[in-house]
Amino acid sequence: MKNKIINWFLWVGLIVIVAIIPKVFGAYYVSLIVTFAVFAVLSVSLNVLLGFTGLLSFGHAMFFGAGGYGTALALKHIAGLSLLSSVGIGVLSASVLALVLCPLVVRVSGTAFAMLHLAFAQLMYVLALKLRGITGGEDGIGNFPIPPFTIPGVVSFNMKGVPENFYYFAMIVLGLSVWLMWFFTKTPFGQIQVGIRDNAKRIDYLGFKVSHTKAVVYVVSAAFAGVAGSVYAIFHNLVSADGSLGVLVSFQPIINTMIGGVGSFFGPIWGTAIFQILEEIIVRFTDRVELVIGVTLILVIMFAPQGLAGWITTLKQRFFSASSHKLEKIS
Amino acid sequence: MNMLETKGLYHDFSGLKVLFDINLQVKEGERHAVIGPNGAGKTTLFNIITGTYKPSKGKVFFKGKEITGLKPCDLCRIGMGRSFQITSTFNRLTAFQNIRLAILSKRGVRFNLLRKVDKIEEITRETEEVLKRINLIGERNFPAGALSYGKHRALEISLAMATDPELVLLDEFAAGMSRDETHNAVALIRKLTEGKTVVIIEHDMDVVFSLADRITVLHYGRILATGTPDEIRRNQEVKDAYLGDLEV
Amino acid sequence: MDATTSMYVAQGIHGLAYGMVLFLIASGLNVIFGMMGILNLAHGAFFMLSAYFCYSVLNLTGNFWLALLLAPLFTAFFGIILERFFLRKMHAMGHMGELIMTLGVSLVILAAVKIFWGTENLPVKMPPILEGMVSLGGLEYPVYRLFIIGLAGVVLAIMTLLLYKTRLGKIVRAAVSDREMVNALGINIPVVFMVVFGVGTWMAGVAGVVIAPILTVFPGLADQVGMDAFLVVITGGFGSLLGAVIVSIIFGLLSSYGVQFLSQLAPVVMVGFMALVLAIRPSGLFGVKE
Repeated sequence: MKNKIINWFLWVGLIVIVAIIPKVFGAYYVSLIVTFAVFAVLSVSLNVLLGFTGLLSFGHAMFFGAGGYGTALALKHIAGLSLLSSVGIGVLSASVLALVLCPLVVRVSGTAFAMLHLAFAQLMYVLALKLRGITGGEDGIGNFPIPPFTIPGVVSFNMKGVPENFYYFAMIVLGLSVWLMWFFTKTPFGQIQVGIRDNAKRIDYLGFKVSHTKAVVYVVSAAFAGVAGSVYAIFHNLVSADGSLGVLVSFQPIINTMIGGVGSFFGPIWGTAIFQILEEIIVRFTDRVELVIGVTLILVIMFAPQGLAGWITTLKQRFFSASSHKLEKIS
Repeated sequence: MNMLETKGLYHDFSGLKVLFDINLQVKEGERHAVIGPNGAGKTTLFNIITGTYKPSKGKVFFKGKEITGLKPCDLCRIGMGRSFQITSTFNRLTAFQNIRLAILSKRGVRFNLLRKVDKIEEITRETEEVLKRINLIGERNFPAGALSYGKHRALEISLAMATDPELVLLDEFAAGMSRDETHNAVALIRKLTEGKTVVIIEHDMDVVFSLADRITVLHYGRILATGTPDEIRRNQEVKDAYLGDLEV
Repeated sequence: MDATTSMYVAQGIHGLAYGMVLFLIASGLNVIFGMMGILNLAHGAFFMLSAYFCYSVLNLTGNFWLALLLAPLFTAFFGIILERFFLRKMHAMGHMGELIMTLGVSLVILAAVKIFWGTENLPVKMPPILEGMVSLGGLEYPVYRLFIIGLAGVVLAIMTLLLYKTRLGKIVRAAVSDREMVNALGINIPVVFMVVFGVGTWMAGVAGVVIAPILTVFPGLADQVGMDAFLVVITGGFGSLLGAVIVSIIFGLLSSYGVQFLSQLAPVVMVGFMALVLAIRPSGLFGVKE
């Protein structure tokens, strides 16, 4: 009971902090935080696949990109579209892409799954570059109209040119996404999913269809990557092949997840924060992003393969070894 | 009616023949043991019955209906459960979560995305009842992989049983157990399988003769004999081929 | 001989040559995967690194043949370092660790070549003896492409002999199926694996050198050609040499004729072909089921 009250206070505190940030900090930090939130959602969505179902994808960018391009194209071509519907269209594009790939990808796992996604993401990247008429090629789609956020008859917030308004919109959408994914892992279905990661054969013998379960997880993961991509596109008022579909966009969430801890739900969020802070500091000295990412990956996998979350668990065990047997963080 | 029946079952692994013309009949409510030396094809037979492999030839019937080629998950849903010789639990999940998965399956809770699983009280209650029955309630929050061998095996067997199947196949449940552990396991199985049909594979003859109503002896992929423990004990062929001087 | 036919033939030779380059890279990847079970994501980066070494050696000595000898050896040296000091530690973590490690290494190599050689396209001159065309039976063939096809053939033949006819090959193949047994025989598995990894990266290195005069040397090389080689391995089936040969040639031809007919969409055709194969056989054309 006491814990519940403390938790409640923590949540309220967090919401208050998120709410006052734009009042206290400048536009630069506001945009930094939106970027953080976008990649945190992308990383959590990747971890829903990787940490909770054991499927490593090297091509998560394609869902991020599908969300971005879906939203951008919708806003460019459909007049009078509302803000939420445009995000909805982005999410739908990502989900449909996942649905199309589903029958193929649920049949494979491990290395083949990872590489297959690398290949498909590469295909999307090439398509985005070459289908100039639709995607704008290397320039991408920019300067599309951004509608205000409106609750008809009640209120309307202008999004374009008012970063503060967009900040609140983005934080609500992304925060809600994280909460939904968290809830997802707590449902009976989420439990079956963890079972698949641990022992797919036994899940089969317990009467659950492994491939169907994988398919649902896959589509859910893609949909939330789509949310992130969609918000990202509106945020920059631009979607481009390199920014939304490039290989680095696929690798980024893997790195964040590795840093934070595979299999811990909130690990990827911490990982995103740590990486972004690292990057902020490092770009002051060098612009070699690949080098930073590469070295981080090598160091993490060599010295902290379970990430921050695993590291903390180990520390906890060392200090309170007798007190708890809660090895399993996901339940 | 036979709970389980195989008709003219053959199996080979890329040319290597492992089963010949297996006609097995398991009556409803009986405890049936399949024995035989290593390599006799016992586990292969289990794998065919439970859907891991498809037989090269022949058919499998469950409650009078043909089930040849059905997948393990389909078989589980129509009432067949199975435990494994090599313990196959969810090692990073707690004992409670392991059993809960089986309970979820039993209750047909599969694609429920609207409630937290921790908040579904009847499932928590039922899971705890199962844990109590198998003496694992004290280890409720232990990861399965951290359980002692005997307890881990008990969890393995209970996973097969917790979906409440009509037919349970247990593959060497006592493998690697000490005398005491075996004794407890036999008691546990008696308790859990009340009113169910059970097929076991077992090497420990004490276990087989104390638990089984009928016994089938497999030898090099063929059925040598089927009968009550007494009949099997007296069967000359079985003595020559397998039991030999086991003095049973 | 009319112009159209000779154009088709020339495209065919180009495609075949590119296919053979892909095959060199892919079989290096396959040797490592087949023998050690490691998917080396840095393979494409090693291929590119070798092309840069080739550029530098050529700049210093002006001798292409020396570059062909040295660059792959340098590359293999780095490959061995990767295996010995980094990948070996990953063994306990399973495939995930190896994938992440090699991914990290490939990014570091990419950054390193940008730092040392810059981001421009660096031209590499082919040796005069391989320039120009040779006419055979009324048709003109570009000499350099024929050289590539020939060289790849030789490398392949050596590899096949090494793997299937020598003691080392036998040990390596035994090590894959039963590591403990080979260990018990007193054979040093770590050394064998180091050699295997070296050989695999050496093959990528050879491919890097021979491609350099055609495509020039630039940081996108790893992505562009390396990715094609990965597609070959996925489509042909992990660890299958036969699959790699067939799919490499198909991809090479698809890419050269694809450029002709579909111009920019050639990569799409390849990935489409791959998707089709995988839809029917998830483990690739000649892959063994996992």
